[in-house]
Amino acid sequence: MTWNRPKLHRRSILKGLAGTALALPILEAMGKEVVESTPKRFCAMYTANGMSLPKPEHGIDEWSWFPTKEVDGKFELGKSTEPLKPFADQVSFFGGLHHENGTKADPHVCSDMWLTGAPLHNPKPGAFNSVGLDQVIAQNTKQHCRQPSLVLSIDAGVGFLSRTGTISYDTQGRPVPAESHPRRVFDRLFRVDRTSLEDQRQRLKSRIKLVDAVLDSANSFNQQLGRSDRDRMDQYLASLNEIESRLIASEKWIDKPIKEQDYSKLNLDATPEAEPAEYYRNMLDLIALAFDADITRSVAFMLNREDGMGISDTFPLKLGLSRTHHNLSHAGDKDGQLQFAKYDRFLSEQLAYFMDRLTGYQDRDGSVLDNTIILYGSGASTTHWPKNLPTMVAGGRNLGLKHGSYWRHGENRMSNLYLSILHSMRIEQASFSDSTGTLAPDVFTKT
Amino acid sequence: MLSPRFFASGYLASGYLASGPTPRIRSQRKALGDTILACLSFWSLSLGLALAQVTVGEDTPVALASAFEQRIGPWISKNCSGCHNEENRESGVRVDQLDASLPEESLRLWESIRDQVHAGKMPPEEEPQPTAQERLEFVQWLDKSLHLAKTRPTPRNGSMRRLTVQQYDRSLKSLLGIERNLTTTLPPDAVSRDGFTNQASTLAMNPLQLEAYFKIAEEALESAWVDPKLLPKIHFFRMDLGKSIHPSPSSESLVLGANNHLLANADFLVTEPDLAKPFPFEPFRMQRKFHFIEGYQGNDTVRAWRDFDGIEHAVFACMRGNEGYPKGKAYEVFPNGLALRPAIPSPEIFGESSTYGPQANFKVSLRELPEKGKFQVRITASKIDDLLLIDPSIPIWKPEESPTSSLIEKEWPDPSAPRTVSIPQDGIYQIQITTQQPSESPNKDHELKLSLSKPSSQTEPVPRNIQTTALLKQPAFGLVRLQKGDWQLGLSYAGPVPIERVEFHLLNPNTDSIAKQWAALYERFETRNPKLGVHIGLRRDCGSTLSQVGLPQIVASKTPNVYVFEGDIANFPTPDVEANNVNYLAGIREIGIRHEYTDGRETPRMLVHRVEFEGPYYDTWPPESYRQIFSEPADPTDPTDPTDPTDPTDRKYARGIVERFAAKAFRRPISSIEQRELGTILESELRAGRSMAKSIQETLLVVLTSPQFLYITERSQDPQAEPLDEWELASKLSYFLWNAPPDPELLGLAGQTQLRAGLDHQIDRLLTDPRCESFAESFVSEWLSLDKFDVVEIDAKRYPHLTRDARKHLRREPIEFFKHMIKTNAPAIDLIQSDYLVANEVVANYYGLGDQTESGFAFAPLVHGRTRLGGVLTQAAPLAGLSDGREANPVKRGAWFARRIIAEPPEDPPPNVPKLEDLTELTLRQKLQRHRDVRGCAQCHSGIDPWGLPFEQYDASGRERTDRVDSATRLADGSAFEDFHAFRTYLAQDRIDQVAFSFAKHLAIYACGRGLTYNETLWLRENLGQHKKSGYRAVDILRWIIHSDLFDKK
Repeated sequence: MTWNRPKLHRRSILKGLAGTALALPILEAMGKEVVESTPKRFCAMYTANGMSLPKPEHGIDEWSWFPTKEVDGKFELGKSTEPLKPFADQVSFFGGLHHENGTKADPHVCSDMWLTGAPLHNPKPGAFNSVGLDQVIAQNTKQHCRQPSLVLSIDAGVGFLSRTGTISYDTQGRPVPAESHPRRVFDRLFRVDRTSLEDQRQRLKSRIKLVDAVLDSANSFNQQLGRSDRDRMDQYLASLNEIESRLIASEKWIDKPIKEQDYSKLNLDATPEAEPAEYYRNMLDLIALAFDADITRSVAFMLNREDGMGISDTFPLKLGLSRTHHNLSHAGDKDGQLQFAKYDRFLSEQLAYFMDRLTGYQDRDGSVLDNTIILYGSGASTTHWPKNLPTMVAGGRNLGLKHGSYWRHGENRMSNLYLSILHSMRIEQASFSDSTGTLAPDVFTKT
Repeated sequence: MLSPRFFASGYLASGYLASGPTPRIRSQRKALGDTILACLSFWSLSLGLALAQVTVGEDTPVALASAFEQRIGPWISKNCSGCHNEENRESGVRVDQLDASLPEESLRLWESIRDQVHAGKMPPEEEPQPTAQERLEFVQWLDKSLHLAKTRPTPRNGSMRRLTVQQYDRSLKSLLGIERNLTTTLPPDAVSRDGFTNQASTLAMNPLQLEAYFKIAEEALESAWVDPKLLPKIHFFRMDLGKSIHPSPSSESLVLGANNHLLANADFLVTEPDLAKPFPFEPFRMQRKFHFIEGYQGNDTVRAWRDFDGIEHAVFACMRGNEGYPKGKAYEVFPNGLALRPAIPSPEIFGESSTYGPQANFKVSLRELPEKGKFQVRITASKIDDLLLIDPSIPIWKPEESPTSSLIEKEWPDPSAPRTVSIPQDGIYQIQITTQQPSESPNKDHELKLSLSKPSSQTEPVPRNIQTTALLKQPAFGLVRLQKGDWQLGLSYAGPVPIERVEFHLLNPNTDSIAKQWAALYERFETRNPKLGVHIGLRRDCGSTLSQVGLPQIVASKTPNVYVFEGDIANFPTPDVEANNVNYLAGIREIGIRHEYTDGRETPRMLVHRVEFEGPYYDTWPPESYRQIFSEPADPTDPTDPTDPTDPTDRKYARGIVERFAAKAFRRPISSIEQRELGTILESELRAGRSMAKSIQETLLVVLTSPQFLYITERSQDPQAEPLDEWELASKLSYFLWNAPPDPELLGLAGQTQLRAGLDHQIDRLLTDPRCESFAESFVSEWLSLDKFDVVEIDAKRYPHLTRDARKHLRREPIEFFKHMIKTNAPAIDLIQSDYLVANEVVANYYGLGDQTESGFAFAPLVHGRTRLGGVLTQAAPLAGLSDGREANPVKRGAWFARRIIAEPPEDPPPNVPKLEDLTELTLRQKLQRHRDVRGCAQCHSGIDPWGLPFEQYDASGRERTDRVDSATRLADGSAFEDFHAFRTYLAQDRIDQVAFSFAKHLAIYACGRGLTYNETLWLRENLGQHKKSGYRAVDILRWIIHSDLFDKK
């Protein structure tokens, strides 16, 4: 492109490399196939400190987050999940799940490892955490959308190790900083300004130029190799070509206009300091809009933080309950466990609201909810107990998910659930974290 | 295409069926009771004769192909293809597409078909059976075809071998003069069939990886690049330690999370003094004003903004760690420093101990450290003139008639007032302290603080000051060496009843055996030295993130000395927090300073007087990394500094920089085409309007991502083997023995075409260079599969001795052992049995030999005097790695032994291995027997399990078992051994050729970076015998391989 000498057309190089495997989906990304396939999306929503699972002697079983009644293999929602009633056939509960490494670690790291399952009790220097489920999905969907992932949290940033402020960890195990303010989320997603776009374009262009220069020099080196074995060189050249293709594909997004949507109902000044419900609803609205406009396909949202950190600890007080979130999670008395369950109910209302929004947006073959897998849960069962993690999976009907049951078969690994989610999204990894296989084929029917 | 005649003559020359051991003939071997090499000729003879009786016709490729057409092909269709075709792949095997060409990738399949047909297992018994004659004909045809296929010469077309992650890392560092680890983002290299990661065939490239190379190259250049015109900003601070050392300590009570154990504000002083450097710089000052909304009351929830002002909120002296030091206090503040006992590692069993780290865990906790660049931590420390506290758990010496200086007090009116003790003669004394009879509850121990001092005198130039604080658990308190004369004794006791007597008993080794033992104990104690270690990490509420800076240093002097620790700050754990975090506890970094623990032996304490940090640390400005690129120091005031893109002199200078850099990166002179291309890139950047510096940087990026840098290339002109050119030889040699690029000396010799002539001298030089460490580490780790030890999850309750610390040192043992073999050119028999270990205190202690060494962390040879130690077979790292962490696994150990130690690899498990039934009630030995009885399993397992059973002598943690254990075995050839010892003696006496062959073969594969062809393996086997006389010595074999065509031809 820059240097004046005849240059092989990219496609002709690719054709010349017989026997070299190329990741074709990337090439597809340049074509129209992308536009026509329905997006497969994922949203993880996390609540810290566990859920209320009242002691039997208090006689308030109906306030248990896990269903306590089942009829014909279908659960009956308890009081803390009652707001989900309109979507009862769109959710499944999972019991008996845990992270193997969670049982070995200090319980306060359960938020850090919820999506990763990493061995935080015995970390290797430099690599404390490992890649999380949302980021694996982002790696596999980023070529189809504008932004690989959206990471949200009640507190901006990352917090700190063992008291994390984000549940998202990248491929190197580093925390992905979260956004907490609706306006900043909105600006980042929908109001990409011209200068930053130009910046991005310049960066891409200069990278393309660099790759081109390397390609030229490598091709010329290739010719100097005489009769040497070319197998390795072919692999190198094919990789280089693909990098160039990806860069060109990314450049294409810059000029593509964003889908027109109705932003009028958004209150971008909602803050967690004022009204928790208003805040959550605006954040969830933003996720729904981003899914609808196919800006991203992977979202992680940390609804509140572990161990009394951050503003969310005060939410129960704002809602008229008697103790902070962390203190409620430690409650053993009847009143405390009841109040904790009432906070769970508040969170269920937010989840129901979100599912309602996703139902309102349409993809070609159904609602956005039908093409989105929602993972909702906590890294502790109740009061720092690292087993039987409260876990719910919702949506994703078009991805083969069949709901309505409370799935439990003894103890099983969270990572196995995550692998089932990946496979449902057609991300055919052999394993995730410490997974030993998939689970619940009756829920994930297309794994 | 080679002529049929070539094949025919090759066939005759190499001797028919000298095709290496197959399971079928293995059993004949031992019957002869001879070595493999001798056997080979026997097989050729006997089988050659046997085959002469039946002929398949001529053995040319043409004849064999026509035999396939006429008889063999149809025979396969008739007997095999029914179950093994495209649709129906029984056992994953398809045979309908096979033909007489026998391409390389089909050989394994053909071999297994051969064994199945020969043994009569296929076709299965329920199917129609071919006649014996048919079988024989098929097998003969196949044997000949296989032989032809294996001996056809492989064309040699040079090679391109990607640098391994480690080689790339070291090449980048050496090229740019940086120390920052940038390659952690690269995926680990794949492991080849032979177990190595440096093999051309497995060192693949893919887009994600290449993208990472681009990113790393950018970061690397960024790290090496500075603007020489700017003043560097240097962060320098000091912490002085000592009782009440702070003239005006803050009265605030500080909190740094739960159980923080901060030193008293008065006992340390943090300053940012002026620093002297040979160049101008700007001092960095730490932030002292902060605004936090939470975290300042520990983990309790607070949501209120608060302002903080003062260095005490920026730098803390923290002792948080596990509590309950077994003897004495973990730490104590002395007037002139902080006294530290060895940092006992945390047991790391969740629920049984805190996760706060070791005991005696001193850390400078602080908010700011530089983000990148080299740093120095300088510790002023000394060895404490210490008293040995007497352990109540060992037999107590009861003094009877030794010359005693006793200070007997009925009452102790003012415990804090010092008093004089007259010591009658030089010697080791036991200090005995008796309290008055307590009236009640005598069981609680109370703290006693004791000090002893003696001013300097003419005969004793060094004053003595001894002080210690410990619980008084028994009258026999401590041992100490005292000189004759008057001493000042200070005592304070926190107990409810006063002290009655203080006695000093001279320990005379001649009085009784306990006294002798105690004197020896003390003498060893006083000669030991603390080992000072520095660690850097970040604070978290649980677990340890501290990672060690360099190696521990020995603090041998009782007068304070400065110990310097260096590293690159980017290589240490960094807290991932944003700058404006609002939590008091977020983003705290830690510099850990430890008296390092080896195995719990009594060691005098270490006194830390001062801690200093300087970073980024520069010797000069601009730094070395910058000069590496610019070759000549760029003087900021010099007008010829290459900054003007329009100046032709500057452009020439810039081209020179790029060309020199490329030649260094490519490890050879650059070609004129490369020169032209780099010039074009540079010019184009300049034309695009970039600055000179930026244009150079962009061009260097191209160099760093080009195949010439990323691959070790051996260029070939034709399929015949050609010698390496000298540049290629230099690279091949240095990446083999250093995992690093060739140094100027190697390149200089290559430039004069003198390298091959002086090869032996260079091999010696490379082997004694510290860079050779990397070769030992990679080769031994991969040859002996030590990666298994890295990942095995040990049951901590069952094997509490196999701690994380012990693992770290045991992991090094095989490597240090190999280094010792290289250093001494040791014979191959040492691999099997050696009368020495190569161990440090931790490793020696693991094998129960802790009292045989005082080497600290240094590995040194140690004569073990045990029957079941020595050599690599009894080392804990491979043995524990080949367990499941709970129980030893003879199958894993057997397969490992067969593959790695005697190079008789078992077949891969077939795809249809039946699942083992749950037979929990059976012993492992019985389970294996069951498994061997299953049809289809027996054949492989008879070549695996017998090798593994002798290792039953060792438990899953790699230690010799003390209970009665059955380690008997019967090998496939019928030879039987009653236990491990007998088995090992047999290996050393009767199988040493095979062990040497395995060693040589693995070494050759590692050296060449590729698997050996059939012919090459054969050559190796046949020619290795020349080293037998001298005992197959390690360096002899290594040298021989380098000189051979395996290594030196392309």
